[in-house]
Amino acid sequence: MGLLDKQLIVVSGKGGVGKSTIAAALALKLSSMGRRTLICEVNADERIAPMLGHPAVGPELTQLEESLWAVDVRPQEAMREYALMILKFKSVYRAVFENRMVRYFLRFIPSLQELVLLGKILFHAQQTEPDGRLRFDHVIVDAPATGHALTFLSVPRVLVQTVPSGAMSAEAEKMRAVLEDPTRAAAVLVSLPEEMPVNETIELRQALDARVGLRTEGAVLNAFVAPRFSEADEQALSPFTELKAVASAHRARAQCAEEARRRLERELKAHVHPVPRLFVEVIDRAALATLGEHLSPLLSGAA
Amino acid sequence: MSSPLREALRGKRVLVCVGPGGVGKTTVAATLGLRAAVEGREALVCTIDPAKRLANALGIDAFSHHEATISVEAMRAAGLSPKATLRAMMLDMKRTWDELIERLAAPDKRERILQNRFYQALSSALAGSQEYIAMEKVWELHQRPSNDLIVLDTPPTAHALDFLDAPNRVLDFLDNEAARWLLTPALAAGKIGLQLFNLGGSYVARTLSRLTGAETLQELASFMLAISGMNEEFRQRAQQVKALMAAPETAFILVTSPAPERLDEVLHFLTLFKQSHMNVAAIVVNRMHAPPPDGAAARTLPAGLREKIERTLAEQDVLARHDKRALDALEKESAPTPLVRVPRFDVDVHDLPALWRTSEYLMAEPKAHGSRRT
Repeated sequence: MGLLDKQLIVVSGKGGVGKSTIAAALALKLSSMGRRTLICEVNADERIAPMLGHPAVGPELTQLEESLWAVDVRPQEAMREYALMILKFKSVYRAVFENRMVRYFLRFIPSLQELVLLGKILFHAQQTEPDGRLRFDHVIVDAPATGHALTFLSVPRVLVQTVPSGAMSAEAEKMRAVLEDPTRAAAVLVSLPEEMPVNETIELRQALDARVGLRTEGAVLNAFVAPRFSEADEQALSPFTELKAVASAHRARAQCAEEARRRLERELKAHVHPVPRLFVEVIDRAALATLGEHLSPLLSGAA
Repeated sequence: MSSPLREALRGKRVLVCVGPGGVGKTTVAATLGLRAAVEGREALVCTIDPAKRLANALGIDAFSHHEATISVEAMRAAGLSPKATLRAMMLDMKRTWDELIERLAAPDKRERILQNRFYQALSSALAGSQEYIAMEKVWELHQRPSNDLIVLDTPPTAHALDFLDAPNRVLDFLDNEAARWLLTPALAAGKIGLQLFNLGGSYVARTLSRLTGAETLQELASFMLAISGMNEEFRQRAQQVKALMAAPETAFILVTSPAPERLDEVLHFLTLFKQSHMNVAAIVVNRMHAPPPDGAAARTLPAGLREKIERTLAEQDVLARHDKRALDALEKESAPTPLVRVPRFDVDVHDLPALWRTSEYLMAEPKAHGSRRT
């Protein structure tokens, strides 16, 4: 159990909770263990490769390190690859897809964009080496924030239900099978010890179960504040108003964090892994490595 | 230099809070509405997805999207004596879209439109459609003279273009030249459920259908047919919405937090808003970490406690310096748009007294741009 035996790892959560940071820390940790790891950003402003100390990679799959690859999956490129795969001939592709009107029209086909983005990610997850083993031990997806992530991930199911035939629905059926396979795919939900992110995490878990069929492996409670000051400490600081306020505020934050952890554990029925806030100037490789250490229990499945 | 948000509260009719997710837009919108009502303007706050406790403070309930009035008793209990009323409502995007269709579409076509998958995509998934419908609602509310000031909290926007371009994109969708071109024979025939071959009969339509399935194209044809005739009214409305957004009585407030990636986004927003000649009243930088107090007194403490206090102060210092550096960089790039700073509070802002305290920061006069250089 744990993420080590999952090939497809989807990281999501509310906007601004640190999804990319956690996804990058997971990628660094897994690749440093010698696991061949691909990190996918989805039509994003590409932050992960730079955080790891590499130039931004763009829409081409790029090897960053011995066991680490990265790609920013973008709709236009993904659409082209997908269309070529289905239509087989470049000339057909050019005649149809490079037509300005058609391009315009494609924007409005419901779910097509999500389908091709997800299709590209799952294509890489299914790639094999000449000897038959999978090309990547892990494909980590830095998924969009909650609402958009759900639209994105539920596309295969929706298409299978609403489009009974055709290439799109055949593709969708294959994708659905991967996402719904609990031995292969898992979600990691990132949260913060605040009301709204915790609410969203709980809703996301329920929606992933109900609308996507993707199993939640666990949650990461980012920027966790561990208790530091006791009640006695606070009392001892009484003569110093400002310092006492510092201690009280810290105690309040720690209490909030602990409540968030308990609530998440109770509602998610999954392990919650607190990750401390790092007091560093920038999130760089060293910071990601530190975060990665805190994520070890998530990999091995230990509580 | 006077306070830019105080001026906006007094002089504008529509204030739109825009920004990425998770930066406190809803709190800023609620705070501005409260301040305006206390100072004597009939204010309506339209919000999207408030935290439960904030919603409670505003008296709105997630399952209705009717206006709720914050009671005078609640205001008095918070130590406020408002000169006008504060109302709040939650925007239900899907429902607002459906209402728009119900108003504009011929009765025999309504159901067909509401059930259509393309309509469902338009009303939920199309980039900019949420933003558009929020603005459309504001246009409608602004027609009512009883609203002196409308404050709109918008959906988290990843791309400023989704916002600015929303009326155009919606019009594009409804009046899609490409779809017409592909589907003309079916539209001309005036009926649906034709064989795909008849849909366009074209090479392009046939090739596309290999990708999307024939049903998808037929459904699109059906949708185009159902909405044809509605386009003119839609176009007029979208033009009015667009005009209101650029009108002198409207101002945008960009809300952000001091995280570097958020600041990059907000600068990008600002550039695009200025290019489109939209009024930006201010950039609100929310949740700034305050510098720690002086720790000299800690030296007299027992070693263990002293270490804990000093570690906490050092952490706070890292965060405060981090935020300040980010702010200084933003200030250079964003001039002359005023920056308004709001500190991070130890607890979530979710009741009227806390909103009122926040409003004191929003009303503050910003430091003059470039004052450091003189």
